[in-house]
Amino acid sequence: MRSLELALTVYASLTRHLVRSLLATLGIVLGIAAVVAMLAIGEGGRQEALRQIESQGVDNIILRSVKPTEGIVQQSSRSFTQRYGITQGDVDHVQGVFQNVRLIVPVMDVRRDIYQGQQTTDIKAVATIPAFLEVTRCRLVDRRSRFLTPTDGQVLDPVCVVGVKAARRLFGHLDPLGRNVVIGNVSFRVVGLFESPGGGRLGGQYELNNTVVMPLETARSLWGGITMRMGRGVAEQVDYDFLYVSARDVDAIPGTAGRLRTYLRAAHTQADYEVLVPYELMQSARKTRRIFTIVMTSIAAISLLVGGIGIMNIMLANIFERTREIGVRRALGARKRDILWQFLAESVLLTSIGGALGAGLGIGTSAAAEWFSKMGGDSGITAVVTPESLVVALAVSVATGITFGTHPAWKAAQLDPLTALRHE
Amino acid sequence: METPATQDPARPLIELNALEKTYQAGGVLIHALRPTDLVIRRGTFVTVMGPSGSGKSTLLNLFGLLMRPTSGSYRLDGREVSRLDDDATSAVRCRLIGMVFQSFNLLSHLTILENVCVPMQYAGLSRGAMRQRGRDLLDQFGLAGRYGSRPTQLSGGQCQRVAIARSLANDPPVILADEPTGNLDERTGQEVMQIFQGLHAAGKTIIMVTHNPVYRKFATQMVTIHDGRATEE
Ligand SMILES: Nc1ncnc2c1ncn2[C@@H]1O[C@H](COP(=O)(O)OP(=O)(O)O)[C@@H](O)[C@H]1O
Ligand SMILES: [Mg+2]
Repeated sequence: MRSLELALTVYASLTRHLVRSLLATLGIVLGIAAVVAMLAIGEGGRQEALRQIESQGVDNIILRSVKPTEGIVQQSSRSFTQRYGITQGDVDHVQGVFQNVRLIVPVMDVRRDIYQGQQTTDIKAVATIPAFLEVTRCRLVDRRSRFLTPTDGQVLDPVCVVGVKAARRLFGHLDPLGRNVVIGNVSFRVVGLFESPGGGRLGGQYELNNTVVMPLETARSLWGGITMRMGRGVAEQVDYDFLYVSARDVDAIPGTAGRLRTYLRAAHTQADYEVLVPYELMQSARKTRRIFTIVMTSIAAISLLVGGIGIMNIMLANIFERTREIGVRRALGARKRDILWQFLAESVLLTSIGGALGAGLGIGTSAAAEWFSKMGGDSGITAVVTPESLVVALAVSVATGITFGTHPAWKAAQLDPLTALRHE
Repeated sequence: METPATQDPARPLIELNALEKTYQAGGVLIHALRPTDLVIRRGTFVTVMGPSGSGKSTLLNLFGLLMRPTSGSYRLDGREVSRLDDDATSAVRCRLIGMVFQSFNLLSHLTILENVCVPMQYAGLSRGAMRQRGRDLLDQFGLAGRYGSRPTQLSGGQCQRVAIARSLANDPPVILADEPTGNLDERTGQEVMQIFQGLHAAGKTIIMVTHNPVYRKFATQMVTIHDGRATEE
């Protein structure tokens, strides 16, 4: 039989019991829907994680100062000042000893409020050096913008560069360039506007677009060489809150990170720092994804097994009901393989329809999941339906049809023509 | 695989030599067809008569390659066909034999045109060609314009005409009919017999099982079976 004829024959048979046939595919529909939805949510999560990680820069190692836990505070706070975190000594050591390091960018949280009129805002003010823009993967917005320059630090001008989100908060639709921002008790002139395209976070903490950046030297000259804040009767002294160490290339990351950890363990007596390596996070994200894939595959396999058994049952029932048709076809010249193909094609068509419906349901489900998760606020899960996942869904449905349709189709083909013809 | 019908008038279309079919049922040997010799020439109208259970259907099913004989030989158009493999047997059924049944055996979910096309699908015809031939055949049997009807929408006589059209789809030299008028009333039965007579006149070889002695008048060769023993009159 020609394939067009086969297709039409199968179509005519299926439409005979359309409702029953569609009910039979329910298992496949749900199985494929689960696969597509979970692939979409998994892919969304993966892309989001990768974006987060990549926005930190894969060739960066980021040190972050961490306030030690209470017990250690008690021991080390004989004086009223609690000193912790990344020190100038650490920066000097890395600068002097480490090879394969391209840029070292210290960042200090100036711990001063930023005002909009009389109101304080949640905008963060940090002090750093010009290479900050590069290591944080930020870029300038507006032609007239400039970033901090070494000269800014030398002349101690109170200038600052503002993240796009902070600029919107502070100035609304007005042009921020040339306007002033009040930080602590000092007025800073805005010379530039910058943006983190990936919506990255400074050291994984502060939203870059919601920060104001000033020269390190200016901050020091205004508020002293250290930043302090009174908190529960103890003053804090932190040289640097973040230190970006940018390697010459990604291959140098594992070695450099290892040496850095060794150095820090020796140099610091307390756990007052954290080492963030986006590259390592990426590796572990990959591992997480592999586990996710294994779990996914198991769920898919179980639902498709159940769905496939459903298909096999309906096909066996089908073939029993249509025994006489098989006899007639054999009497009119059908070969065993013609019968085999007819019923195999029928079960593959059934599972494919189930797969298509399931893919649709899966896309709907993942969109709904995304919508519900974002209902309360602006962040939630992201679902990304890739063409690959749809191809996988279709391939799996076809494979299920073949796997579970072969036995019934083979039984149909083996029927004795005369016995089948006499079947009531 | 198939030898084309060589239209050698000297050669018989069908030759049976000691063809026999027995069943083993509960330890008892049933002689459904005792060893039979029979020659059927091209263009013959054969009637097979006999009491119920005498072995008429057995003989016809052997002719139609729907069962294998227990022993003996069956030559169709000069070729031994009783021991072919399943694919070759199917090919013979497809191209050399047309079958008409008592209960029509039309596929109820297909239109009558699609029913007529079924044997042509297995002969590998193109869609256009088979539909054209299917329409021609239906026209020939007074079913023009009913192509899209389902068998359930037709009378018994019309259904049997569709079945006859279907048996002719691949233009086989021999038509086998097992009590084709058995489910029809007297008048409709007569009409169907006239169709068979027409086919015989057009050169087809027809082998028909019938209960009705009146139909003997159409026969050019008569076979009678009693208790599995076939004799020619
Ligand atoms: N599958 C079978 N198993 C056992 N006996 C059978 C089978 N088919 C037919 N027979 C027997 O063979 C004999 C001939 O049957 P059949 O050819 O159908 O008779 P008819 O068509 O003349 O009525 C009967 O005795 C019947 O019971
Ligand atoms: Mg009979």
